[in-house]
Amino acid sequence: MATVTFEQATRIYPRADRPAVDTLDLAIGDGELLVLVGPSGCGKSTSLRMLAGLEEVDAGSIRIGDRDVTDSPPKDRDIAMVFQNYALYPHMTVAENMGFALRIAGVGKADIGRRVAEAARILDLEPYLARRPKALSGGQRQRVAMGRAIVRQPQVFLMDEPLSNLDAKLRVQTRTQIAALQRRLVVTTVYVTHDQVEAMTMGDRVAVLKDGVLQQCDAPGTLYDRPANTFVAGFIGSPAMNVVTGPGVDGGVRLGGAVLPVPRERLARASAGSGRITVGFRPEAVDLRAGDGVPVVVDVVEQLGSDACLYATLGAADDGDVLHTADLVVRTEPRSAPAVGEPVTLRVREDHLHVFDPVTQLRVD
Amino acid sequence: MTIASDDPRVAAVTAPPPDAPPAAPAAAPRRRRARLTRNRWGYAYVAPFFLLFGAFSLYPFLYTAYISLHEVRLSDIDGAEFVGFGNYTALLQNEFFWNAARNTLTIGILSTVPQLCIALGLAHLLNYRLRGRTFFRVAMLMPYATSIAAATLVFGQLFGHDYGLINALLQGLGLDRVDWEAGTLSSQVAISVIVTWRWTGYNALIYLAAMQAIPNDLYEAATLDGASRWKQFIHVTVPALKPTILFTIVVSTIGAVQLFGEPLLFSGNGMTNGGASNQYQTLGLLMYDQGWTNFRLGQAAATAWAMFLIILVVVGACALIARRRARAER
Repeated sequence: MATVTFEQATRIYPRADRPAVDTLDLAIGDGELLVLVGPSGCGKSTSLRMLAGLEEVDAGSIRIGDRDVTDSPPKDRDIAMVFQNYALYPHMTVAENMGFALRIAGVGKADIGRRVAEAARILDLEPYLARRPKALSGGQRQRVAMGRAIVRQPQVFLMDEPLSNLDAKLRVQTRTQIAALQRRLVVTTVYVTHDQVEAMTMGDRVAVLKDGVLQQCDAPGTLYDRPANTFVAGFIGSPAMNVVTGPGVDGGVRLGGAVLPVPRERLARASAGSGRITVGFRPEAVDLRAGDGVPVVVDVVEQLGSDACLYATLGAADDGDVLHTADLVVRTEPRSAPAVGEPVTLRVREDHLHVFDPVTQLRVD
Repeated sequence: MTIASDDPRVAAVTAPPPDAPPAAPAAAPRRRRARLTRNRWGYAYVAPFFLLFGAFSLYPFLYTAYISLHEVRLSDIDGAEFVGFGNYTALLQNEFFWNAARNTLTIGILSTVPQLCIALGLAHLLNYRLRGRTFFRVAMLMPYATSIAAATLVFGQLFGHDYGLINALLQGLGLDRVDWEAGTLSSQVAISVIVTWRWTGYNALIYLAAMQAIPNDLYEAATLDGASRWKQFIHVTVPALKPTILFTIVVSTIGAVQLFGEPLLFSGNGMTNGGASNQYQTLGLLMYDQGWTNFRLGQAAATAWAMFLIILVVVGACALIARRRARAER
């Protein structure tokens, strides 16, 4: 049982021009499941490996509980890690794999057997204890890797994309199991993934990283409702939030000839620097209507059954002054979805509008 | 696919077109001929190898077997006289054969075991991120690229009695000089040193290649499991190298049974008797001695075949052990 604290932790790879992890400050509570998420190359795995002791810390410090582990070797950190490729020892049986750390630590045979059997029972691995990893399916291997971590009864679990080698269906199943197991064992866990759905569903809190810099660390709901900047806004949520930049005018932002209303005070602050304003709205926060609103043309309609996704571009009178990187996405009722090519107008529910400063990209409240 | 494949699936695939006569007995040779013509380019491409193999490997091999059943003098090769297994029974009753076999065995053990152990250790060290890794890797292959003659002559000097560097060092340490060439054990140790020096780097490179195929996250997992470098070597590296180690054991054993150049040149005078009391005469030297010193080709051929059979037995035993282990691990 322990907390984990990153304090200004920095990792610069030799011959790299910028840090892989840049002055990371992160406090992880006792028994918490914290997910590190971000696109590839964002430094999430490096952060985890710094905590594991597999990667040097060039500046700052890392503490587990009250102990400063910045320079201690991995074996003294009382941690266990689940690797992306599981890293099971191929010549050892499942039981030997799970008991290896205990054997190295000099724990008695009977004790090892008892703890391995206990972990095997939790993970439904009992029939496979005498098998070698190559005789197991992907999901079973993944559970052995989990078991190897559990048997050690460490202070902290580290998981490096443990589900990325499973097929989609098994991934969803296993992610629930891991989250449930973590809640049952109440062990502080740091979990790395690039999949924001995994992050949102599993984490007590989620830390979003980009280019080695921590963008935001919050509960999944907060992350979704109040993203700290445009990157988090676009990264969290599927389909992604629509983020559009346009000229600020009296009462709102001008998009496609119409004005999308923005509350006066936020409008003033966001557009103070450049006269422009960035707004974001989630696909489900949109009402489609004929009449007034932002005119768009529907390009593609995706029927998902439970709802439909419209991919649309801004309608006729685009001033050439509007920036949006992707199509606008609107989630709507599947039965009443407009047809492709049909011009519609959209209105954003006011309390679901996110406002960002177009220069700093930061949220304006 | 082999020419004589009787596999029914193959037959089905290569079945003649429907307009071929249905007569069953005549169909088989016709089908075979059809198969030969269809695959003629394949056979053409592999032919050069098999021609060379036949002329320079298979024919000498079989001819040696033929010779070994005859009494043949080097001066009168055509005057072969059939003696059945006489050469073989003579060989088994020959004290020189047993002496040479014993020498070959001890030199083999004295050279193969340290050679492979050192190679494994060296490969492990070279597997780390060393500065100038490439240099070390090339340097390791240098002994292998050196001619046996040059190496053995240099080592012969080093092991010399009066002016040899090694005896000078021994004396410097206050120890007695050793007459390396004269003693049984000492001469065999000296020859083993030469063999080890020549082949260690070669084996180390083979081990190194196999080590680099071991995924790095296994070592990371072992580190987190608290295993020291040594334990990682024992529990991760060595198990992963098992097939490679078996391979090098087989290759080194074959080399050891055929050992010839080093003991021949170690004497310094080109004699094939392997020292005054045959103390380092190997099977290879004995064979040469019989054929080209005593001109008894039939006897030499029998010795050659005996060496071949020894290799077959050793390699077969290795394969058997490997298969049993693999089955046990399944």
